[in-house]
Order: sequence, then structure tokens, then C-alpha cells
Amino acid sequence: MSSSPITYRGPEVANRITVGVADMQLSNDVDSALVTYALGSCIGVTIYDPIAKVGGMLHFMLPESKVNAEKAQSNPAMFADTGVPALFKQAYELGAKKSRLIVCAAGGAEVLADDGHFKVGKRNRTMLRKLFWKNNILLSADDTGGSISRTLMMTLSDGEISIRTKGKETKLWPN
Amino acid sequence: MAQLNEMLDQIEHLPALPSSVIRVTEMLISGEPDLNEIEQIIRMDEALSMTILRYANSALYGRPGRIFDLRESLVRLGGKALMKIVLEQQASSLFLKAGSAYGLRRGAMWRGALGGALAADQIARTNNFADIDLCFLCGLLRDIGKIIMDLHFANDYLEVVEKHMQPDRSFVECERAAFGMDHAQIGGELALRWGLPERICNAIRFHHEPPEHEPDHDQLIDIVHAADIICLWAGLAIGHDGLQYKLATHVRDGLKLDRRTAEMDIAMTWCRLREIEESMEDALVQEQG
Repeated sequence: MSSSPITYRGPEVANRITVGVADMQLSNDVDSALVTYALGSCIGVTIYDPIAKVGGMLHFMLPESKVNAEKAQSNPAMFADTGVPALFKQAYELGAKKSRLIVCAAGGAEVLADDGHFKVGKRNRTMLRKLFWKNNILLSADDTGGSISRTLMMTLSDGEISIRTKGKETKLWPN
Repeated sequence: MAQLNEMLDQIEHLPALPSSVIRVTEMLISGEPDLNEIEQIIRMDEALSMTILRYANSALYGRPGRIFDLRESLVRLGGKALMKIVLEQQASSLFLKAGSAYGLRRGAMWRGALGGALAADQIARTNNFADIDLCFLCGLLRDIGKIIMDLHFANDYLEVVEKHMQPDRSFVECERAAFGMDHAQIGGELALRWGLPERICNAIRFHHEPPEHEPDHDQLIDIVHAADIICLWAGLAIGHDGLQYKLATHVRDGLKLDRRTAEMDIAMTWCRLREIEESMEDALVQEQG
């Protein structure tokens, strides 16, 4: 699934909450938007409960925490296998319900001519799908792969998600 | 080369390399930090003196007991750490506001520069490379050519380069197709004008396309090249150019970079960058408290 080609102006909201690299933020403030800048091989995951108006965004860097278990403990958002469960857990604490969650993802790009040695972006994508499959979670929309940079934004009033690449914005959800 | 020089000549105010960076670079090359001279450099600059005090009291370098004296801070940090802090802080003035042509937010280019320095340092250690501090410096300065692209093309840059972008073409090839030169070549030329040693100029010039069959091959170039890719994977300084760069196979094999070591380097680079940032933030809070 790829992002919609419709040109989109992006959210105009009172507060923009920035999600850094290896970071996650959640909020139930409908006047806010969550933004993460310049996803490369990292992946941005968004979850949104339209009834509770709870939204969260994770920007993880690597697939598996075993690469540095100590760092994963102090910063679970760095890895998919520790960050994704933490994102969902915190959303439930804010009143979100799993059955209502709209889940989207963007990023997972690759450097050129990687003949399978590293594939950091692909390994991130695969780990995410594995985690979702194990937990019966369906992706509502995603825009991943290629070698481009993506900025991901979500408005918390309606869960609308847009992606900006090279100054152009497209709507990812609702699609 | 003529075209490169012509472009640099056209820019009225070329960025200048602070003289302190030049002097510390000379110390790096000779391998011996001169603590007295470093102290002189630091004392001449109030902002830098404050930074050194912050570092000495930070979680990264600090030990129990706060210190308020510059001399004591210098001793606590030691010559090697001081050289890096001076380079890091003085070079920040070059990068902090740069990168708009590449679609980088304010500060992103600086994080990318410091990330490159830390990644190069990490790779050099893993490979028992003799000139670790030189790798740090070259990692830090590798993208100085982007500052010139900023100054010369400003907002027209993306429009021009985009016409030459193709999915499998590396970004430096796109730049050469669009402008007849790329940011690495320009950076190498600028470093030459700054009077930096040839090894450093070459590491900057070839950091995206390290030569494979050079008789007097310098591994410094390979380390800076790999550090640049590690930085991209760590999500640092990704702009309009995205991930449109290649990791040279001979560098990958030469540095024995496999998936596991690469992921460890990515995690380590990012964590060390955050440690530096957090130490500075903590020290600032302490000062204000």
C-alpha cells in the first residue's frame, strides 16, 4: 500500500509534539499533532483510537534489542521489539482499546546497492510485520521502502496522517 | 577543478575555519596534545570556557564533587578529550544554521556532523586504526561542502538537483549531473583552501566514493565513508538526499562490517550522541538551578 497522491496541506494545530529518533510520544490532546522528522531506514509507527482520541507515535531505529540489551532497557523506543509493545501499553494506559486502534507505519528506506548484507530498512519492516502478525494487529496504511526521507505527521483530533517528502505532502490515512 | 574554484571564488564570504580548530588539528596530526596551548585557546573564548566547565561537571566526564575552576576542569578532562571538545564546539558554529538547501532542519546538520565524528571514532577503535582522533575530525568535517551548496544555490538547489535524480543513481552522481560537481568535491576543495593537511582534504573529498585501487591507500577515507552510512542508519541528518548513497563493497569487506557490527555501531553512535546532548542539558539545568 502506498500513500495517496492527493496534495495535502498538513495539520494546522495549536501544538506540535516532536517525536525524536528512538523516541515515542503519546497524547490525548485534540489540539495537538505528533510529528517525526526525516525517517530514513528508521520506521515511524502511529496508533490512534478515534473514540478515546488517544494517539501515539514511535520512531524506532533498529529491529532487535539484543544488539544492545542494556540500552534497550533505558530506551525501549530504540528498537522495534521493545518500542512497539511499549507504545501500545502506554496507549492503553491513556484509555485506548486495541479493537479500535488504527495503526499506520512509514519509513524503512534502504541505502542504494545493499545486496542483502545489511538491509536495515527491510529488517525493520519485517520485524514490525512479525510483531503485528503475532498480536493480531492489522496495518491500516503504510508507506515504506525506497531510499527517500519521510516526515510523518498525525493530528490527534481525527487521527489523520500525512507524509512529507522533498517538501510535498500526501495523505496516508484515511485513504 | 576549475569550475570548483570558480564557484568558491564567487562566494563573497566563504565560511572560515576557526583558528583554534586549525591549531588543535595540528596537535592531532602530531599526536601530542599541548595542554598549555589548549588552555590558552579556551581562555580566549568565554563561551568555550563555559562549555569546558559544563563538560567537566557533566555525567559524561564528571566525578563526584562539582568544580568551578577552569584549570581544574582542564585537568579533569585531559588533553585528548579537550581536543575533541574544542573541535566539536568550534565546528558547531559552521554547521548549526546550515543545511537548508538539503531540507535539513536547524541543528540537524550539526547532529549529523557530530554523529559522523562519533561513528568514525567507533569504527576506528574496532579496527585498531592508529589515528582515531583524526577519524573523529574528518567525520565531523566531512559534509562542509553542503554549506557551500547552501550559500551558492539556496532555495533553487532542490529544484535543480531533482531534475537529475534517478532511483538507482547515488546522490553525489545526481549533484554532478546537475551542477558539474558534488558536495564532497567542494568540501575537499574548501578544506584545501583552509590549509588543512592533504589526508583530511582527501577524506572529505572521497567520503562518498572511496577509491578502491590506490597504491598508497589511506584507511582514513574508508572509515569516514562507512561512518557516513552508519549516521544515515542512525537517522541523523537525513535530508532531501534521503538514503541515496552507497556503501562501497571494498570498504564493507575491508572494515569487516557485517550486519551485527553495523547495528552495534548504529546503536553506539546514537547513544554517544545522546549522552553528549544530555550531559550538556543536565549541566545547563544545574547551572540555572
